[in-house]
This record gives sequence, C-alpha cells and structure tokens, in this order.
Amino acid sequence: MSFKNLDSEKLKPGVSSDLSDERDVRRAIAPHQHDFPYERDEEAQVTRREFCNFLALTSTALFVSAAGVAGKAALDSRSEQSFSPMKIEGAEALAPGSALNFRYPTEDETAILVRAADGQYFAYGQKCTHLACPVYYEQQRQRLECPCHEGGFDVRSGNVLYGPPPRPLDQIVIEVRGGEVWAVGRKAGSHGRSV
Amino acid sequence: MDAPYSVGEAAKPRSRATRGRAALEQARLIMLVMINVAQLWILAATVEAALAHSYQEMWPLVIASGICWLISLSIILWWRPASRRYTSTGYVRERR
Repeated sequence: MSFKNLDSEKLKPGVSSDLSDERDVRRAIAPHQHDFPYERDEEAQVTRREFCNFLALTSTALFVSAAGVAGKAALDSRSEQSFSPMKIEGAEALAPGSALNFRYPTEDETAILVRAADGQYFAYGQKCTHLACPVYYEQQRQRLECPCHEGGFDVRSGNVLYGPPPRPLDQIVIEVRGGEVWAVGRKAGSHGRSV
Repeated sequence: MDAPYSVGEAAKPRSRATRGRAALEQARLIMLVMINVAQLWILAATVEAALAHSYQEMWPLVIASGICWLISLSIILWWRPASRRYTSTGYVRERR
C-alpha cells in the first residue's frame, strides 16, 4: 500500500508502508509533529556550543598525544636493549659497491648493509632520522639517500651530508667472523653533521 | 504555502543580551580553534624532536601543549556566557 494517492487526513503515523518521498513522510507524521514539534533540518546541525566541546576534546587528545610521544621516546632512550648476534645471510657474496637489506635486531626493523669499494662493510638502521622513511644506497654517488625529503648520509660514518635529517643514522655494529658477517649490536646515531 | 509540519512562530528580533551571548560564543569558538591549530603544530614538532632524539626540546613542547590544554579547559568550563538564570557553575537561580 502506498500513501502517495491518499489525502493527508486519512494518514496515520506509525503505519508501515513504502513511502515514496520526503513530502509523504512529513505529511504522514504531521499529527506527531504537532504534539512533539522538532525541525528535522535543525536536528542535523551542530551548534556552536557542541562544536566548542568537540574542540576541547580535540585539545585534550592533542595534549595526551604529545605527552605520549615524548614519554615513549624518553623511555626508549633509557631502556638498555640487549642484542643477540645474528649472521647476515648473503653478506659474504656481496660485491664491493653494492648493498643488502636485512632485519635487525627484530623482524620489524629493517637495516642496510653496504660493502664499500675497498671491501669494508658498514651497516645502518634503514629508518631515516628525519621522518623514518627507508634510506637506500646510491651506488654512483656512494652514499645513503632518503627519497622522501632528499636527505643524504655518509656511507662510512652514517653522518648527515645534506638535507633535513637532524642526526646520523643508527649504526649496526658488525663483526666479520671467518668470512661471515655478523650483526652484534645497534648504536643510536648521536647528534652531528659532517660538513 | 505553509508546510503541514511547520509549528512554532516566526523568528523574533534578537535582543541585545542574545546578541552579546552569540558574540561571546563566537569568540570562544575562535579561541578554541586557534589553540587547536597551535597544539597540532606542537604535536608535529614533538614528533620531530622525538625522532631526532632532541630531548631538551621535547619537554618544553609538551609543557606548551599542556598550557594550551589548560587554557582551552578554562574557556570551556569557566569562560561562558553568563545568564540571568544560570550562574557560571550551573546553579539555577530562583525566579523572583
């Protein structure tokens, strides 16, 4: 049954039917609106006061976030991490002037091992110290570069050469044991910029 | 044509007190928006300082964000339009 062809006097609120459009709905609920008046359009609006309350909640969330980020960073810096030695698979076959990615000290943290032209190994955490984009080895220029904001790092020291990164890359301590390359620790890059 | 659901009366001209309250609400809103923008900037700076291990810069930023939060709290809780019936603490005065 449809209300479309009926007069408004015949309609009663609460009757289930397939109402065709908004005008029919409004006509159908007119008696109810008379007893309990409210404006449908106004109901959808947000008042200034409600929006102020929302902004206060946002302010609370922003403060908690800033305190949380700072607290976590401070805790991480104080906690002593122990690193278990791990063999870097495929490192011995790495050609001079090339790089290899591996995971250290956990499966979630990627690192990069670089073999310089003279055969020496250097390893760093792959997160750029600016905004944590993964750095890669630029073979022609022989340096580590961040593609996000064009930061550059020295391959031998991890120091910042140019760009926005504020500190050197985290260094992975490596040892060569009988031709095999092992990662044995990790050191946070301290402040410094090579000029 | 009058809509069948339309009830209530036409809008009356707003009184001076109503206009004042609206202006105050608007001022509160603008101040809160400005504080939120400042806090957003502070949060971005805090994240950058944390990634850079610049702890000496990080804590002043957190304190600044806390001060912003206290200001917005005071705006919401105490700096409200006064009413003849409702006090700033929500107490309803009896009508004389």
